[in-house]
Amino acid sequence: MKRFASIALLVTAVVAGIVLWQRARVPTVHPTVVVYVSEDQVFSEPILQDFERETGIRVQAVYDTEETKSTGAMNRLIAEKDNPQADVYWANEPIRAEVLKQRGIAAPYVSPNARTIPPMFRDPQGYWSGFSARARVFIVHEAVKDPPHGVRDYTDPRWNGRAVIANPLFGTTTAEIAALFTIWGDAQGRAFLEGLKRNQIAISSSNGESADFVSAGRYAFALVDSDDAVNRMRHGKPVFLVYPDQEPGGLGAFIVPNAAVLIRGAPHPEAARRLIDYLLSPQTERKLALADCAQIPLHPGVQGPPELKPLDHIRVMPVHYADVARKLTEIQPLLRSWLGL
Amino acid sequence: MSRRFVLALTALLVFVSGMLPVLSMLLRSLRNDDRWSLAAYRGLLGSAHQWALMEHSLVLAALVTGLTLIAGVPLGLLLGKTDLPGRRLYTGLFAVPLLLPPYVLAVSWADLLGPDGLLAGMAGPGIARATAQWLFGLPGCVLVLSAVFLPIPMLLTMIFLRTVDPRLEEAARLLAPWPTVLRGITVPLILPGIALAAVLVFLLSFGEFGVPTFLRYDVFPVESFVQFSAFYDFQAATAAAAPMAGVTLVLLLMEAASLRGRAGQLRLSGLERGLPRIGLGAGRMAWAAATAGLAVALVLVPIGALVAQSAEVAAYQEALRHAGDSLLRSLVYAGIGATLLTAIGFLTGYLVQTRALAVWRAVDSMTLFLFALPGTVIGIGLISLWNTPWTNLVYATPAIIVLGYLAKYTALTSRISATQLGLIPASMEEAAQVAGAGWARRMALIVAPLARRGLAAAWLVGYLFSLRDTDITMLVYPPGHDTLPVRIFTLMANGEPALIAALCTLMIAASVLPLALLALVPRLGRDLQDP
Repeated sequence: MKRFASIALLVTAVVAGIVLWQRARVPTVHPTVVVYVSEDQVFSEPILQDFERETGIRVQAVYDTEETKSTGAMNRLIAEKDNPQADVYWANEPIRAEVLKQRGIAAPYVSPNARTIPPMFRDPQGYWSGFSARARVFIVHEAVKDPPHGVRDYTDPRWNGRAVIANPLFGTTTAEIAALFTIWGDAQGRAFLEGLKRNQIAISSSNGESADFVSAGRYAFALVDSDDAVNRMRHGKPVFLVYPDQEPGGLGAFIVPNAAVLIRGAPHPEAARRLIDYLLSPQTERKLALADCAQIPLHPGVQGPPELKPLDHIRVMPVHYADVARKLTEIQPLLRSWLGL
Repeated sequence: MSRRFVLALTALLVFVSGMLPVLSMLLRSLRNDDRWSLAAYRGLLGSAHQWALMEHSLVLAALVTGLTLIAGVPLGLLLGKTDLPGRRLYTGLFAVPLLLPPYVLAVSWADLLGPDGLLAGMAGPGIARATAQWLFGLPGCVLVLSAVFLPIPMLLTMIFLRTVDPRLEEAARLLAPWPTVLRGITVPLILPGIALAAVLVFLLSFGEFGVPTFLRYDVFPVESFVQFSAFYDFQAATAAAAPMAGVTLVLLLMEAASLRGRAGQLRLSGLERGLPRIGLGAGRMAWAAATAGLAVALVLVPIGALVAQSAEVAAYQEALRHAGDSLLRSLVYAGIGATLLTAIGFLTGYLVQTRALAVWRAVDSMTLFLFALPGTVIGIGLISLWNTPWTNLVYATPAIIVLGYLAKYTALTSRISATQLGLIPASMEEAAQVAGAGWARRMALIVAPLARRGLAAAWLVGYLFSLRDTDITMLVYPPGHDTLPVRIFTLMANGEPALIAALCTLMIAASVLPLALLALVPRLGRDLQDP
């Protein structure tokens, strides 16, 4: 009996393996789209499941992990440049989309749903299109009576040792630093970095950690993504958010949209275009606005998260994301040496 | 098929699945713009940051090794040598953390001691802040990894105790009490097992990636992973992995040199039913209470915190909705991986045991080296070798995950098989050979049936380690083929704590379930006495 059970177990495993193997290599009857996703799985997966349900197109996804600072998927795309496996890349910020364009990994596609998205948030040649954005904001502890107004407050001696910023080598912080360099120029950018050091600004491992530090009262404020701030506010932490540099003529807040990219040589181009259309639709923006990630819609008239201002009420930092991407690559050695790496 | 042909093919398979990717990665790291270059290595060696990370890794590995040996060897003696009540229960309990992806334990400790953990609810935020500060850093990493790897010295001590000839101990007992016999006879005789445990714990802690990342302690393997994944600097990633491979190699060579002629002699005494046990006498209950206390502190409390965090049906419904597919895939891939690992481990174990080919020692060392090598290194190697349009059948399918399992875990099934085969008298196979049976027939009808309990144990161990694998799978899984441990990792970013806890609990259930099967398989070696 035991021998029979062992043999049955073995046979089941082998048969299951063969079935699975066949499913992987034989094209399925249902159309399929392969998407690599840098947006957090908790928020992106429901959208992709809705797409599956509404279109009948099967979605196969690779999700990023926090440990790779959400760049693992993009790097896998680069590794697979000569042997593409993905059809679409859902980036959680446009700089990576620009890098893919510059490396010849993206293909142009202008979705009909992109037409009402402000031109600033899409590539003029259609290599990527933005949707559902985060704003870079200050999360401030409630005990702070006179909160900071702009990013230059980081270098104000009043905040000496009392503020924190995420590691500028990664994620949206590195993008914002690069954006500041494109607006201020290299000299002022370097001076700002030196000012941070002089003012003993703490470096955290991520925006989430910065937000936690401020929530716990260890620091007065931090520059984080709006979803990090909203998340802490929704959990009742003693914090509030401030949009930086909103005074007339001010620098404005850096806006970080998601970006949808069609991959050059995509194995399923038609399904890929349909997925991109879906991601750029107002209903997807609405879902992402009302989810815990609290993203700001870029389509006019779409309901946003209650804690955040709509896009047309925010003074936006006027940047070209292509320039930011180029500057980011250029200043990486500077940032590494600034961090003592 | 001749014996030599099959065994040579097996050795080749081990080489192709494990060593070839690592060698391919090494070669690519030495090429820069179509020229040979050491630039990546120079950059690595010239960076003070890298040296600091290396120091972190070495300190972490040394502390974990020291602590697990200090606790694990006495625990192994207590459970394997005394009449402690509930020995089997305690052995199973202490072994549970080893069956789980280590970061699951890290999550459970965070659920207990973290800023929003159970302690915060009971003792207030001030205490929780202090415990969280302690947990997130080196002390937390040492605690979690010590709990995870404690079973290694414990189990190896218990296994090697069974290799000690009881007549030696009985003779010594005529002259000295048990503590003296243990110090003078037993422990020196099981030193190879303790040394092997030390090497394994050191290397596994040194290569551990998930726990230090979760607990925010920068270590060397994270650097390699980040170089590859965050900067896409393939050369730098390999260069960062090379010192880990170097440390692994050096330690294994040291172990082999110091135990020359002894480590390969693992033979169960065959008399385990009659092994002399130490009577704990009046202190029996006190020892039992102390053991129970340790089990509660290291295993039950953190896992209990995890279960408490997820103690809502909705959390499990949500977990199954999010990760039901991943759970199923995990079970299937682990099943396939375990089946192949058992087959290949059986053949390599046979090769090592019979020394049928001159390369037996190379194959044995190769499997152990790959087992000790950090999973990220093997993962990067697999991508480097298989990511081509011509090998999509492997790279774009779950076959790449199974190859990773074979590369990493063959050492386990090979060693188990070799031990079991060592218990089978060579005369059995020889008699069948004299009767005219070919090698394949002898293996199928004589050797494999006699080794069936070893094969079952190998399958279970292969299954458990394949199921818990995170490092390799996370790097290579094809789109839509993530496993449960990977899914937990990706959901950790902004996932609800109750959901993560429920997923971790499901992971524990999937891991522990086969232990029920294991309980049905009597201990190795019983066949010989009770055929």
